[in-house]
Amino acid sequence: MNTKSTIDPQCSRRFFLKGLGTAGMAGALATLSGCKDAGKPIGGEGWTPQQYNAPGSWPVQVRGRVPIDPNNPSIVRDDRKCILCGQCAEACERVQSVEGFYELPIKDDITCVNCGQCALWCPTGAISERDDIEKVLKVISDTKLHVIVQTAPATRIAIGEEFGMPAGSIVEGKMVAALKQLGFDRVFDTNFSADLTIMEEGTELVSRIKAAGGGQAQGDHGHIPTALPQFTSCSPGWVKFCEYFYPDLLENMSTCKSPQQMLGSVAKSYYAKKKSIDPKQIVSVAIMPCTAKKYEAARGEMNSAGAAAGTPELRDVDFVLTTRELARMIKGKGIDLAKLEPQPYDSLMGEGTGAAVIFAATGGVMEAAIRSGYFLLTGQNPPDALLNLTAVRGLQGVKEASLNVPGVGELRVAVASGLGNARQLLDQIRADKQAGRPPRYHFIEFMACPGGCISGGGQPKTSVPPSDWVRQERMKSIYAIDAKLYKKRLSHENKEVMDLYADYLGKPNGEMAHKLLHTTYTDRSAHLTAKTKA
Amino acid sequence: MSKGVLVDMTKCFGCGACTVACKLWNEKKYDEVNKPTLGDKAQLVDINWTVVSKHDVTDTSGQAAWRFAKKQCLHCVDPACASSCLVGALRKTPEGPVVYHPDLCVGCRYCMVACPFNIPKYEWDKSFPKVSKCQMCSSRVAVGEQPACIAVCPNQVMTFGDRDQLVQEAHKRIEGNQQLYVNHVFGETEVGGTAWLYLSDQPFNRLGFKTAVPQESLPAFTWQILSKLPMILVGWTAILSGLYFFNKRRNAIAEGKQDSTGGPQS
Repeated sequence: MNTKSTIDPQCSRRFFLKGLGTAGMAGALATLSGCKDAGKPIGGEGWTPQQYNAPGSWPVQVRGRVPIDPNNPSIVRDDRKCILCGQCAEACERVQSVEGFYELPIKDDITCVNCGQCALWCPTGAISERDDIEKVLKVISDTKLHVIVQTAPATRIAIGEEFGMPAGSIVEGKMVAALKQLGFDRVFDTNFSADLTIMEEGTELVSRIKAAGGGQAQGDHGHIPTALPQFTSCSPGWVKFCEYFYPDLLENMSTCKSPQQMLGSVAKSYYAKKKSIDPKQIVSVAIMPCTAKKYEAARGEMNSAGAAAGTPELRDVDFVLTTRELARMIKGKGIDLAKLEPQPYDSLMGEGTGAAVIFAATGGVMEAAIRSGYFLLTGQNPPDALLNLTAVRGLQGVKEASLNVPGVGELRVAVASGLGNARQLLDQIRADKQAGRPPRYHFIEFMACPGGCISGGGQPKTSVPPSDWVRQERMKSIYAIDAKLYKKRLSHENKEVMDLYADYLGKPNGEMAHKLLHTTYTDRSAHLTAKTKA
Repeated sequence: MSKGVLVDMTKCFGCGACTVACKLWNEKKYDEVNKPTLGDKAQLVDINWTVVSKHDVTDTSGQAAWRFAKKQCLHCVDPACASSCLVGALRKTPEGPVVYHPDLCVGCRYCMVACPFNIPKYEWDKSFPKVSKCQMCSSRVAVGEQPACIAVCPNQVMTFGDRDQLVQEAHKRIEGNQQLYVNHVFGETEVGGTAWLYLSDQPFNRLGFKTAVPQESLPAFTWQILSKLPMILVGWTAILSGLYFFNKRRNAIAEGKQDSTGGPQS
């Protein structure tokens, strides 16, 4: 037996180990040589908008964005879509005069009036209204609940645009048809409560004017407003703005609620009683051109019907959907609004006059109030000239008018839309008040949004940023409805409103009216340190 | 010449533009549900290189208030992360930013242990994870542009400039409004100084800052010993070698095998 192998190994142990060692050293050297070149550091592969890419630390003019409280009931922001264009900050600071008009550091509040102009200006839709569609679909599908819906004046000349129709297309009947198809039990018109608002607010104005003239102020309950000029109170963005920046002038704010809230409280009291429905089964939805209405519906004091009946947890208005949300809801069900056959509003709260529909445009509330105010003061219907009060119409930021009311004298009024424009008037009024001068106006209409509700924060974004040509088209349609389409043009001739007073409320500014249709305001100035200029 | 940033937290109202700018510039994803960048649950994490945390405080007039604090890597003057890094993946650049080179990183995460402010984050969800932290837009700073977060701030909360000059500016601001500011510039001496300096009207620990850190830089502690190591190495080698040769010679003589001339025995 061979103990020794006859074949010589080609690779000795020593040779193998030497090879391993060399390979190992070569590998180590190769790895370590990479350390000389550190490679690219992480980050910096993306982009920022052009205005921020310049040498130096120069401040950029259009920069940053508005702060939004995550608990804001009206608007939300999706950072994924934010491109830091700065338009929201522009709108809030330059148009609405909110951002930048308070000292830093802030207190325990993000100063926001919920007007939603930032959402209108946002090119990507990063800022949009808080979506309540699912909640409304849920209550509609609950057969035990009686779901009513009201539509604001400004929705009927804008929602068509979401379905490809030209700006300002009048789609009132189609919108009602769509709402019925969506499953709402009753479709009411905020025009009804706009007429109601005119009755209440007109009566209040007469009372203030009489008080200023040395007469007795009318109004049986709570504080009796006497300060002039009277401010309209239907724009919740404007109301919050006044509460933040001009709380000393809150006594001038009409105590009337907005049409949305008036219809809400009437629905859960008068309508419930008339139709023998348990108010707790009624769910009240509102379609609004406005994001601030979501905030308004949630205000603590907006539960008058429930409070009067001993159920204060019952809200007057439960949900608010913007025009854009309604359009999404309709599209989601595969309904083509443009092809629907028009349908009428339901009765008890569905009749509206031309005076009501013009609420949608800046100057419209004023004109409607003058039409009925003339009647309340003189007992006569206004002459035709007051049915086309061009002095208060149009997109000018601040408008003034003066009219002679026979037997009463000169009525001086003003109209402001856009909060930056509102400031002009408010600063004058504040200065007058502090100097003890007599008020230069009797009545002022304030709208938070430039152009009025037609260009509200919840309206279709038919042009971005919002533009005057769209506002003009929508305004034209609003005044056309008043002049040509509706039979009645005076709020005090609304039969359903007359029936409401006769059957339930009693008289304007009376006890019942005060309980359901009037409200109080909150001084919010402690939550910021207001500044007069940005 | 090293750059720094002065952050005045009294001016921040929490808009979050800075966090969006950072995400845009560095192409980081969003996870608003689990990893918010804004608010009381905001946390620095692998995809959040900067966050703005919200704090409920009491302001100088005794009223309840909200304060917002922008958090990110503080870019220390003498960073512990860079010192602890085995392979030099984290480095302090002469312009100021402490940058991270992923090509060199071996994933040991010593930097995460070393950082006194717990800044470097790890990409736990990835198969080939890297360390993740604010780079102070080093490529922008290198060409003279300010970091993205500073450029977009609507209230100019942050000022970009030479770090030493900013320290002076910070003290000037405190002096100019002693009623408002807490008399301390956070980052002036903390861990030996950081490039990002903070002014506030609230005590810094109430805004989520780690104030219980040493005022000397952390690498400085170990440097006291590390700097002497080469000397010790060389010295000890010399001593031991010397002893070895000395003993070898002595043993050789003691055994008498060789005489002092070193030649063979005749």
